[in-house]
Amino acid sequence: MSNLFFTYIPGTSLIHRLDPRTKIISVMIASMIIFKLASFAEMALIGAVFLILSLVSSIPFKVSMAAVKPMIVFLVIIFLMQLFLTEGTALFSLSGFSATREGLHIGLLLTVKFVYLLLFASLLTATTAPSMLTAGIERMLRPLPLKKAGISSFDLATMMSLSIHFFPLLYEHLWHLKDAQMSRGLDPGRSPFKTVYSLSVPMMRTAFRSAEEVSFAMESRCYQGICRTSLFDPRMQRRDFAALSAFVVVMWVILFFA
Amino acid sequence: MPIDVKGVSFSYNTGTTLEKVALENINLSIGKGEFILIGGEIGSGKSTLIRHFNGLLKPSTGQVIVDGMPAHEKHVKTKVGILFQFPQNQLFAKTVYEDVAFGPSNFGIKGKQLDKRVIHALQLAGVREELYDRSPFTLSGGEMRLVAIAGVLAMQPDYLLLDEPLSGLDPENKNSLLLLLKTLHSQGISVVIVSHRIADMLFLADRVFLMQDGRVSFKGKPDDYIYSTSSPLPDITSLMKDLRQKGIDVRDDVFSIEDAFDEITRVQKERMVR
Repeated sequence: MSNLFFTYIPGTSLIHRLDPRTKIISVMIASMIIFKLASFAEMALIGAVFLILSLVSSIPFKVSMAAVKPMIVFLVIIFLMQLFLTEGTALFSLSGFSATREGLHIGLLLTVKFVYLLLFASLLTATTAPSMLTAGIERMLRPLPLKKAGISSFDLATMMSLSIHFFPLLYEHLWHLKDAQMSRGLDPGRSPFKTVYSLSVPMMRTAFRSAEEVSFAMESRCYQGICRTSLFDPRMQRRDFAALSAFVVVMWVILFFA
Repeated sequence: MPIDVKGVSFSYNTGTTLEKVALENINLSIGKGEFILIGGEIGSGKSTLIRHFNGLLKPSTGQVIVDGMPAHEKHVKTKVGILFQFPQNQLFAKTVYEDVAFGPSNFGIKGKQLDKRVIHALQLAGVREELYDRSPFTLSGGEMRLVAIAGVLAMQPDYLLLDEPLSGLDPENKNSLLLLLKTLHSQGISVVIVSHRIADMLFLADRVFLMQDGRVSFKGKPDDYIYSTSSPLPDITSLMKDLRQKGIDVRDDVFSIEDAFDEITRVQKERMVR
């Protein structure tokens, strides 16, 4: 399939070999820092960090861009909202709304922030196999008192890994469906409403049907959700602690000195 | 005017470690009114190839020309209709009638002409009249497939491409679909069937292409296909071979049940004379 949207790209780089928890925590830290930053100079530094990580992981830039591309509509809306709805010195006005200098500044900054979030997240999913990602999240959730909410970290992990496994299948299905409807003359660029309608109705049917089939298959294999083991047990090693501390230091330096 | 495929190569996910070459330097031509079978194992590139015929995929190198036009022009989709695998999954409209009308109305056909086309396609596909106003989701699997076929026929394509059309059909439905394809072919429509199991359709075909690892490994007439490749024989041909081995003097280059019937009755008559 021609789908690079948050896919795993197998590799052997240092970043590929890190424990999933190291990468998840790093992405969480990066997200927090990115939202604290308020100047373009700092943003440029974060950009440099991303470039270095992306070079080390040898993930082609194309893969990261594939995570941003489908979101462009939202990014543009976010930018325009900030541009027109922030008060300040007017730059120009458009049918009653005036774009402001402050709006431009905040809008650009916020848009860049969202792009960075997507880029870092894509780096995580591109370098971590879905099963490892689930195992990592499951381990991180284990200490939480989820039992009281009537759910276990195993249940959550199963749900997550099922969604991750089914995402490519549903995507493939969508791809087939789009081909079928486009062969019947559907033009997504020209008639967006018809496109959404003629794709979403059959997709819903398929999604529910396959969910039902999977639950039957799991039940007939006596799935209980009591204990879950994974084939690859993630284990934090020395290089994980080293990488994590290095990342924290870099982020801290950017936050306080740049 | 034909579909001309000239030096077409295609890869998925170019530039990443997941890059996969699906087609390599394909050259072939499909004439008007021909009946073509494209065989090959799963993953040999058959489905990728037919997606080039109406411009769903654009070749990485080379070009596909349909009746003198590049295949990615929108108008080509009215000439080349594709029925995908499990076509019953593509139904979405409120009624059977509306779903079949989806294709032609996308090309601006309206009113009386649209009605004529839809009814004609539904009749051709053999959808019973009392189903026209029903929701497609209340139909049985077999009926849904007929509606999907009508949906493609309503576009009145010059070339009809079918991807694994027989999978999941019972023998009776298989035969009626093949009969329909034979009728369409006799009306001058080119029919192209893509399947990993083409042996039992050989009697219909003018020409056969075999795909292997993204290349065309065989091009030719059905009988050459039988003798020059190690592909499985049609059931009826192996039956005739068995008869020959048992000492009954029938010809074994027979691909259709009708021909086999004629051949066996001929031999039987000869025996009676003796």
